[in-house]
Amino acid sequence: MPFREPESGLPRRGFLAAGAGVFLCTIGGERVLLRNPGDAAKADAAARRVARPRAAAAGAPGAGPTEKLTFATPQPQPGGTAREYWIQATDALWDIVPTRPRRDEWHGRPVPGPTVYRAFVYQQMTEGFAEPLAPPRMPGPTLYAEVGDTLVVHFRNGLSDETGQALTMHPHGVKYNPEYDGVYLGDFTRAGGFVEPGAEFTYTWEATPDAVGVWPYHDHGPNHTLNTFRGLFGAVIVREKGAKVPDMEAVIFFHSLAPPVTGLERQFQCINGRAFAGNTPTLQAKVGQDVAIHVMGMDSNFHDFHIHGHRWKDPSGTFVDTPAVGPNETITARFIEDNPGRWLYHCHVFTHQDGGMAGWYLVMP
Amino acid sequence: MKRYARIAGLALVAALAVPAAAFGQYPPPSKPTPQKAPKGPFHTLQVCKDGCRYKTIQAAVNKARPGDTVKVRSGVYRETVSIAGASKRYIKLVGNPKDPSKVVIDGSRGKAVPRQNGVWVNGANQVTINGFTARHYNGNGFYVVNVTGYKLTHLKATLGGVYGIYAFNSIGGEMSDSEASYNNDGGFYIGQTPPQSTPKRSLVTRVKSFGNVIGFSGTNMRYVTITKSQWFNNGTGIVPNALDSEKYAPPEQNVIIDNDIFWNNFNYYVGAPFKVRKSGIGVPYPVGVGVLLFGGRHNDVVNNRIYGNYLVGVGALQQILLKQKDAADLIGNSVRNNQFGLNGTDLNGRDMVYDGSGSDNCFAGNAGVQAMLPTDGSAFAACPFTGANAYNAAAQAEAFGWAGDATHEKFWIRHPHAPKKGYTPLEHYKK
Repeated sequence: MPFREPESGLPRRGFLAAGAGVFLCTIGGERVLLRNPGDAAKADAAARRVARPRAAAAGAPGAGPTEKLTFATPQPQPGGTAREYWIQATDALWDIVPTRPRRDEWHGRPVPGPTVYRAFVYQQMTEGFAEPLAPPRMPGPTLYAEVGDTLVVHFRNGLSDETGQALTMHPHGVKYNPEYDGVYLGDFTRAGGFVEPGAEFTYTWEATPDAVGVWPYHDHGPNHTLNTFRGLFGAVIVREKGAKVPDMEAVIFFHSLAPPVTGLERQFQCINGRAFAGNTPTLQAKVGQDVAIHVMGMDSNFHDFHIHGHRWKDPSGTFVDTPAVGPNETITARFIEDNPGRWLYHCHVFTHQDGGMAGWYLVMP
Repeated sequence: MKRYARIAGLALVAALAVPAAAFGQYPPPSKPTPQKAPKGPFHTLQVCKDGCRYKTIQAAVNKARPGDTVKVRSGVYRETVSIAGASKRYIKLVGNPKDPSKVVIDGSRGKAVPRQNGVWVNGANQVTINGFTARHYNGNGFYVVNVTGYKLTHLKATLGGVYGIYAFNSIGGEMSDSEASYNNDGGFYIGQTPPQSTPKRSLVTRVKSFGNVIGFSGTNMRYVTITKSQWFNNGTGIVPNALDSEKYAPPEQNVIIDNDIFWNNFNYYVGAPFKVRKSGIGVPYPVGVGVLLFGGRHNDVVNNRIYGNYLVGVGALQQILLKQKDAADLIGNSVRNNQFGLNGTDLNGRDMVYDGSGSDNCFAGNAGVQAMLPTDGSAFAACPFTGANAYNAAAQAEAFGWAGDATHEKFWIRHPHAPKKGYTPLEHYKK
């Protein structure tokens, strides 16, 4: 597809901001350039045109021996349990800067609106999807397991008719067979890789010994890049059996919300769907606590996680205070808190920091 | 004893096994298929007795195009409404959602052939029926079959010959904010759900069902969540069951969560506002049961309040006479975190009854449990549980034996009910 000129009438500021968030999506057989506010609708239309793939095992065009394989649903190891979650993908009006008046507390300055867009989020529900357990949030619910457990995730695509398109849940880190990969693969797609609006699929993932850690999950359906950027992501935490849970544990996603995704004029550099201190999560701890802050990247950029006043060891044993984290990578800052006060945490890529990717970390003695 | 149990078991099954198709000239089930959403423009067709273009609901439906709205004003309409085929998809039939009792469709005064269904949707996807009362139909009040997607809301179905609000051989839908009373079988019924690889769930929420033979019947139903509803004063409250009379046994992956299930002791044999149907060999349903899992896999009964049911609060029994043997066993069902007996003020005859059949079935976190069968609790494996359950032949024989009682009350264990404002217990109907 040729690179289009920006739509006439788009304010220059908007065009500049949009330029920063350009990306190209392949959706089914179509390629859609997302460059300007409003382009997401084209991607959605393309996603709605993607036909439900024939079951791969039934002999899709070009299906090979791998498509004939069938896979049993994994069971928990002896002593492990099946941890069930009911998670619905839903669309929700989401405010990137919810303070009123909109404010960046770091610099004590107002933030201009508008800041509300239609997000897609994973929402935890009660059993049978009877009702939400919590308001729509970004990231989605954190899934917990210990080694030997299975995660049994009942996923429902609850998108409305207007935004309707196939979605999935695809996890990192945990073990799964192709049936539970949660990925759209064209003619080779299995059932869990194409969950239509109103439909559901139960994924079963294994917490194997090599799954210990903190991992992201996200949409991997036909329109995965756009829908992940819209907010369809969350985290899985797998611990050793009986491992101590940190006194304070936080999950932080660094990501951007760009005009082609939100339809807004400005690009926002976000932490968990919010931009600017006072809107982003305010982390809190006490001196002496065992603190774990898990940071993941969920856009096409690399980020640097920095907390003022603190340092910790990276996996190699080196002390750090600004480690890099890439797309769908995780770093963990784990330390015993020893430094009370008001601290800033932020991405140290300067344009990200200044675009809103910063927040408070408050430590009481 | 064994022989007696067998016969009694047969009786129970025969009683439950009354196939829907026996009641009227229904079409054979066809596979629900996707239908394209209509693009419009959409129109509203007005129906009323006097001064509207359409005098009958059917006349308006006949003219309606996909996605149109048929608005029915207050009145009593003596007709049967058929919404059939893809050309009627996405139609909205709207009466008075705030007061469904004002827009009545009435099956009485049928001439040579009594009217069968109030509104009957066949093969038209995504039809909404909102704000009606159906009464006195020989078959069903509101009946949906062979569709993908439906919404039945703000409805009342009363004094029906079979089911009140009913969806059969359909994929995904909603029954909400509705009431079914004094129907001669299930007040609500979802049956024969086709198995699906990415299933579409059906939701039953904020409904009331009372005075029916069964509050909710679910033969071979799948992917149904029943929640925030009241099931009371029926013969039996909620019965997901496996039967040969419909395809796709057994019931699977249903969730019964956050309901009030109480006083289901309506012995309609002693008196009822409807003519009690005789099943093939004239043998009864069990009366006095809150929830009965009669065969089934991966059904969960969770967070409900279950009290004042004289025979059983929650029962789980093997479907011993199902011909499809591989679907007869209870597998992977759970009964968790329910409150029994209303804090000791309104006890069930027996809170939990389970014959220990099948595998992977478990019970956990249930409060207020005072009486069980088997009485030593040996069948009630704690959750989570994998493996064969502790089958108890004596318990199974005893439970099936209850259905053979001609008085329908002999095995009740009566307890006083706690008063409940606005509700009166119904055991014996009096005019």
